[in-house]
Amino acid sequence: MAEFFGTTVADIFNTMPKRFKPEASKGVDVVIGYDCGGEGGGKWKLTVKDQAARIETVEGDLGPCTATIIASDAETFIGVTLQKIGAIDALSQGKMKVIGDTRMLMTLLPQIFVQYTVPAKKTEVTARGILSAIGERFRPDKAAGVTLKYGYDLTGEGGGQFTITIANGTCTLKEGLDADLAVKMTMEAATYVGMMTGTIDGAAAFTSGKVRIDGDMMAAAATGKYFDKYVDPNAEEAEELLSLKKITSINQRFATGPVMGKWFAGLREKKLLASVCPVCRRTLILPQEICQFCHVRTKEYVELGPEGYVTNFDLVYFASPDPLSGEVRDTPYACAWIMLEGATPEDAFAFEIKKEDLPKLKIGSRVRPTWAEKPTGSFRDILYFEIID
Amino acid sequence: MATKRVAICAVAQHKNEPDLWYKRFQNMLLDVLEDLQGQTGFKYGENGVGIIVSASDDFFDARTISNNGVTDVIGGQYLAEEKMAQEGLNAIGYANAIILSGHKDLVLIMGHCKESQGESRNMITNCGFDPFYGRATGLDYLNAAGLQAQAYMRKSGLTDDQLAEIVVRSRQWAARNPYANAQEVVPAGKVKASPMLCDPIRQLHAYPVSDGAVGLLLASEERAREFTDNPVWITGFANCMDAFFFGDRDLTSNFALKKATANACRRAGIQDLKKAADVAEVMDCYAYQQPMWMEGLGFCGDGEGGRFIAEGGPGKYRVNLSGGTLAGNPMIISGLYRAAEATLQLQGGAGDRQVPDAKCAVAHSTNGPAGQFHSVLILEA
Repeated sequence: MAEFFGTTVADIFNTMPKRFKPEASKGVDVVIGYDCGGEGGGKWKLTVKDQAARIETVEGDLGPCTATIIASDAETFIGVTLQKIGAIDALSQGKMKVIGDTRMLMTLLPQIFVQYTVPAKKTEVTARGILSAIGERFRPDKAAGVTLKYGYDLTGEGGGQFTITIANGTCTLKEGLDADLAVKMTMEAATYVGMMTGTIDGAAAFTSGKVRIDGDMMAAAATGKYFDKYVDPNAEEAEELLSLKKITSINQRFATGPVMGKWFAGLREKKLLASVCPVCRRTLILPQEICQFCHVRTKEYVELGPEGYVTNFDLVYFASPDPLSGEVRDTPYACAWIMLEGATPEDAFAFEIKKEDLPKLKIGSRVRPTWAEKPTGSFRDILYFEIID
Repeated sequence: MATKRVAICAVAQHKNEPDLWYKRFQNMLLDVLEDLQGQTGFKYGENGVGIIVSASDDFFDARTISNNGVTDVIGGQYLAEEKMAQEGLNAIGYANAIILSGHKDLVLIMGHCKESQGESRNMITNCGFDPFYGRATGLDYLNAAGLQAQAYMRKSGLTDDQLAEIVVRSRQWAARNPYANAQEVVPAGKVKASPMLCDPIRQLHAYPVSDGAVGLLLASEERAREFTDNPVWITGFANCMDAFFFGDRDLTSNFALKKATANACRRAGIQDLKKAADVAEVMDCYAYQQPMWMEGLGFCGDGEGGRFIAEGGPGKYRVNLSGGTLAGNPMIISGLYRAAEATLQLQGGAGDRQVPDAKCAVAHSTNGPAGQFHSVLILEA
């Protein structure tokens, strides 16, 4: 199984039942398909219904899904899951694709699942291991003037008996229990490890009888302060650098002005208007205030097309999601250079081609616009150009 | 060959308006450009304008590389075009350097801004602060100015009555300026009764939301008279930046402005600016800034802004006869409006605002919260 960022795609799905939050999934009724390509990929189907989650691997067709997440390879899928790769980047680079409501997924999934984390590769922590390195954590400055001899009697698996002597600014450890201890602490080795790694509270362990203290209680309580805190090698690395996620958004009201305004008014009447240079007679589409070659204002308008032919095009395999709505247009889409009837050479109009027509799109294809049923004077009034020959 | 002096040959101003909803800024620039071409008859290309310095702001235009939206209109096709993203007066400093270096002998400057386009000026200037701390604290240029006004009024003894007086005078002069935005004359009582925006700044102490555009044609000494009979000479220009982090600054020290003034005066060979200048145009977005910047420019002593107003300093030194920024210019090109007005005064073209026989003018601008950055331009007839 291919491993990226220290884990596998399968582990992400295998841990889903454990990470599921039933209380946060009230009323959720979705089927989400996952299709991850490449080595280590596969297909999975997640069904969330009646506050229960079921995950299954799928061979062949995913069948009907509320939404489907498609990743080109395991690295992308794992990277996005772990937030090592930005979801927006993956979407816009075409490495990830969502069929269905992107925004719903982006909101729903973090709500009903605990964020996936890479399983730790554990270092074995033993009582003996912790104690044998106690000298490295010793703080002579904190133990100045302190003379203390204390012992641990650790029972059970991994146990043993140890005497620690603090004197003259040094700390020594030896096996066995001396007779002249100021205090002796008796507990299971596992309890000691738990207290040192922070999973067991020392005071609670004492009051509940898990730790027995024979001798000077005060000395026992003081032992901790002569040492740096033990650092659990398996503890999750503290995240030192945070990033701030924020959408900077200030509402705008863009004027169209007298020239661009004509263009939008034309759309309302299903007309494609160009402004005309009074000097060189170029047709500027979209209409512009001036002909930038002749440095003169354009004043007349002429209707171009509606038919034309394609002089250049490219197929676009990525689509940037709208940052506010999460909407992503279907890919691939064609951005075509269209010479509308009546346009002067080089003054092309760029627009999208009907998706179903893409297989037959070629240089020279004749096209015409398909209009929205009720044009309102917006760019969406033109749905696309369709091929007519 | 490098020239010794650079002239402003002509200026054109779009009338400042609170909401030019029916015009794109391209339309505004085109009106300004045609005005300038009408005055000077300049052409583009060989022997004409070969480089254009535009001035605009990405956040106010709500697009990156804001100059790309206007280069066609201002004649940039197949020519050199560069954008001044700092406050507009620096476009003149930059054009001055282009000509002095001998790189080009004719430069067109075109600045624009439509403050009305964005929902809120404060939301835009909030973005002038870092995203972690300044923005989160809710700082914007208005409340930064509020903090500065508090500190400055304590230091200078400037009063609420005097703030009102500054606004009243600004409107009286704006009424004579065909390019000003707020031309309505207001009585002091109305200023003092206007709502508090950010203590001690009241609504009428703050410059109104403004849309505008300015154009200037600059030429080398050798070529200036091809375009005008009244060249105005750039004799000094300097700017100075204070700390970005607001908390690192002494808000009343005027440190950056004093330094910019000293450098501009040294360049112009001026010992005492208040004696030399016949006219002063300062960028007063808020009423308290007018006396404060006059202090920084050396027209009165440190902390004496209150007395400066009490003794009629603005009238004596002919400060902001255009109405100033208080009467409304877009902040980001306010310096270009200041320079345009100063030029008109030195050309004898300031109409009802004309100072007889004006020979020397200072134009000032500032950008960044509470006067972080200052620019000073000295012009002579």
